[in-house]
Amino acid sequence: MAAKPRRLNLTQKYQLMTRGLDWETTYQSMDDVFPYDKYEGIKIKDWDKWQDPFRLTMDAYWKYQAEKERKLYAILDGFAQNNSQLNISDARYMNAVKIWMQGVTPLEYAAFRGFAMLGRGFRGAGARVACQFQSIDEMRHYQTQMHAFSHYNKYFNGFRQFARIRDRAWYLSIPKSYFEDAVTAGPFELITAISFSFEYVLTNLLFMPFVSGAAYNGDMATTTFGFSAQSDESRHMTLGLEVIKFMLEQDEGNLPIVQQWLDKWFWRGYRLLGLVGTMMDYMLPKKVMSWRQAWEIYWEESGMALFNDLARYGLRPPKYHEVATKEKYRITHEFWCTIYQFSHATALYTWIPTEEELDWFSAEYGELFDTVYRPRYEYWAELDRKGERFFQKRLPVVCNVCQIPIFHTMPDDPLMNCCLVSEYKGTKHQMCSQGCKDIFDHEPEKYCQAYIPPQQIYQGNCGGATLEAYKEWLHIKDEETGEYYGSEDHIMWEGWKAQSGKPADAPA
Amino acid sequence: MSYQATIEPLGETIEVEDDQKLLDAALRAGVWLPYACNHGVCGTCKVDVLEGEVEHNEASSFALMDIERDEGKTLACCATLVSDIVIEADIEEEEDAQHLPVGDYTGKVVRIEDLTPTVKGIWLEVPGDGIEFQAGQYLNLNVPGVEIPRAFSLANPPSEKNVIELNVRHVPDGQATTYLHEQLKMGDELGFTAPLGRFFVRKSAPEPMIFLAGGSGLSSPKSMILDLLENGEERAITLVYGARNQAELYYFDLFSKLARQHANFHYLTALSEPADTDDWDGPRCFVHELAEEHFGKRFEGHKAYLCGPPPMIDSSITSLMRGRLFEEHIFMENFFTAADSAKPARRSALFKKF
Repeated sequence: MAAKPRRLNLTQKYQLMTRGLDWETTYQSMDDVFPYDKYEGIKIKDWDKWQDPFRLTMDAYWKYQAEKERKLYAILDGFAQNNSQLNISDARYMNAVKIWMQGVTPLEYAAFRGFAMLGRGFRGAGARVACQFQSIDEMRHYQTQMHAFSHYNKYFNGFRQFARIRDRAWYLSIPKSYFEDAVTAGPFELITAISFSFEYVLTNLLFMPFVSGAAYNGDMATTTFGFSAQSDESRHMTLGLEVIKFMLEQDEGNLPIVQQWLDKWFWRGYRLLGLVGTMMDYMLPKKVMSWRQAWEIYWEESGMALFNDLARYGLRPPKYHEVATKEKYRITHEFWCTIYQFSHATALYTWIPTEEELDWFSAEYGELFDTVYRPRYEYWAELDRKGERFFQKRLPVVCNVCQIPIFHTMPDDPLMNCCLVSEYKGTKHQMCSQGCKDIFDHEPEKYCQAYIPPQQIYQGNCGGATLEAYKEWLHIKDEETGEYYGSEDHIMWEGWKAQSGKPADAPA
Repeated sequence: MSYQATIEPLGETIEVEDDQKLLDAALRAGVWLPYACNHGVCGTCKVDVLEGEVEHNEASSFALMDIERDEGKTLACCATLVSDIVIEADIEEEEDAQHLPVGDYTGKVVRIEDLTPTVKGIWLEVPGDGIEFQAGQYLNLNVPGVEIPRAFSLANPPSEKNVIELNVRHVPDGQATTYLHEQLKMGDELGFTAPLGRFFVRKSAPEPMIFLAGGSGLSSPKSMILDLLENGEERAITLVYGARNQAELYYFDLFSKLARQHANFHYLTALSEPADTDDWDGPRCFVHELAEEHFGKRFEGHKAYLCGPPPMIDSSITSLMRGRLFEEHIFMENFFTAADSAKPARRSALFKKF
């Protein structure tokens, strides 16, 4: 009689259900079946050397993820039934959630698509399986974020038609272009951009401030989805580390390629995070930590510790990281000054920080804030009091690479605007920094094709060549844009506060 | 108060203090477990508790869900012990680890010799069956008047079960080493716990071996190399040893003789700061530099074993990796003096062992 089959241990089960299902193709060549994993120049001698950074099988995956969903939705239901939107610190906080919903949630969807491509693209089964799981995770994050935020959509402006404005809003090309740049590269560059640069190196700067900011400002819906998503992030981060090690260990010729990608994606990621830093500094009525402090902890300490370890492979820290460190005193202020002037063309509200908040900035950012940015805010506040709230009449020039308005200043001169130009095929392309210019110059044929929204708008390709026509095409109404104080959100919030007997906030 | 945690599939048992996290205790005892966030939100360090009870503490209810708690899982980074436990972690079993039982012994000092002006050899006699250990392992020595036991590698080969050898460098102002250098005398008895540690030769691996040793880090390589040669090892073995000056260079004659006797054993030495009076025409450089020169900066296809002070280990790892020998082929025992551990270098999660 046959012996009773032994229960498989985790490793055996994993082997059988992942790599054990793979095969070498015979009637089509492997190169034809996996046409994209060689052309970037990355050489892989032995895909079997891929170390699976986590051993998860599909049956366990479904079971655990389903349980996470049940838990999350139970909390979201309770949140909605208890009118928990009343518990947030202040309605200005909602703009942090709006920017997440408009800018970051669609990135989860873009990541789902990207990892689905990678889950087909690599010829190594271990790498494919890891990417397939992550693809499903990203779809889950996209959906749970949308569901967590949907309760706010019942009350606050800026959430409706997020999918349309994701496609059409000029300022949302900032996050969108990051992922579109990545998915139009090859598979190894894509996974380096997302898994390593974004998820491993920069995720602490993205996720931590947002989720702790949410908790701190009474937003339990966001906090709960944040924890739910973070329990998947461990897999994503270890995948990022594994892929870098794998490329570097497989062939020494991979080193310069990887270095160039790290240079590029560090800078692109850093530029994108300027938006998150601005949200942290300006949109959280209860502050968690300043961007400067977060940069010091998560980049100058943790990030540099990582690059010290990577130096053993011969990698150096990414180009221009020292510029990013110089900019830690100003980037969020330059960003907010810009959004403040353009919020009539966004589905966001902006405002001048309160006196108390200005004092917090002075303490966190010191002399530069007091001499450069505080006077600007005082000037604009004065105009506002005279009934002349300041808005720019035209859309800004944006960087051809990061698509952020060209407001950044010279690394060593915070009063001198930085705008660099590359000429390619007879056309001038503007960039915000040497970091972005290097990226353009390395692949001009790619970036000369970038879709630059303000240019398209003024060429009349977006509903008409005026701001008014464009806003109509965007379906953005004036009441969901511009100044926070006096806005529909503000009036509703004050009404709620009055009913609950708590004092309403005084306008700045 | 402390509990014991046995970690499967290694079979290694570690002590965990009352309020100490399981992960912290494991890492400190040299047992690597997978981990990432270190504060209960990511779930990378999830392990199965096979026996005993733990407290989950601040583990996130998403990273460690109720069904998982019911299934006996815990997050090592948050778990504290409420009894002795046995856990199973997702780590590889080491084919060449012998998992020898740890015991408490008493040894009598039978020989003390100045190996260098700063290093003393101390030989302890262990009566009866003696002690069984794997070359490369260490013991925890109870030094009279010193509260916490101190770790010393065993310098003799495992075939010598009844007399063990320790090489003790005098750490200026170090309580234990000062006692051992200045007060220890023949016939004294010292208690110790052994064998400990997971530094051993991967004998089943086919690659030739490189040993990089510096300062008083010669004990383990000496035990390992003597053990290999005694057992008829035929693969190439290269010992690269560095000392500051000639007076600090010890066991030179022993290894030179072994190199003459065994065609597959190569012995290279360098002095980093020879004294003016030294009669030395050999290389003047650090261990990693000598290794780079000898191997032409290519280390691919070897197994490397490192032993020595932290800066030497650090430079050696970089040299090996730049020479394309990676983590899975590099082995070491990390030793820190009390002063070293006060200022740990900040590290990322990139490497498991370094």
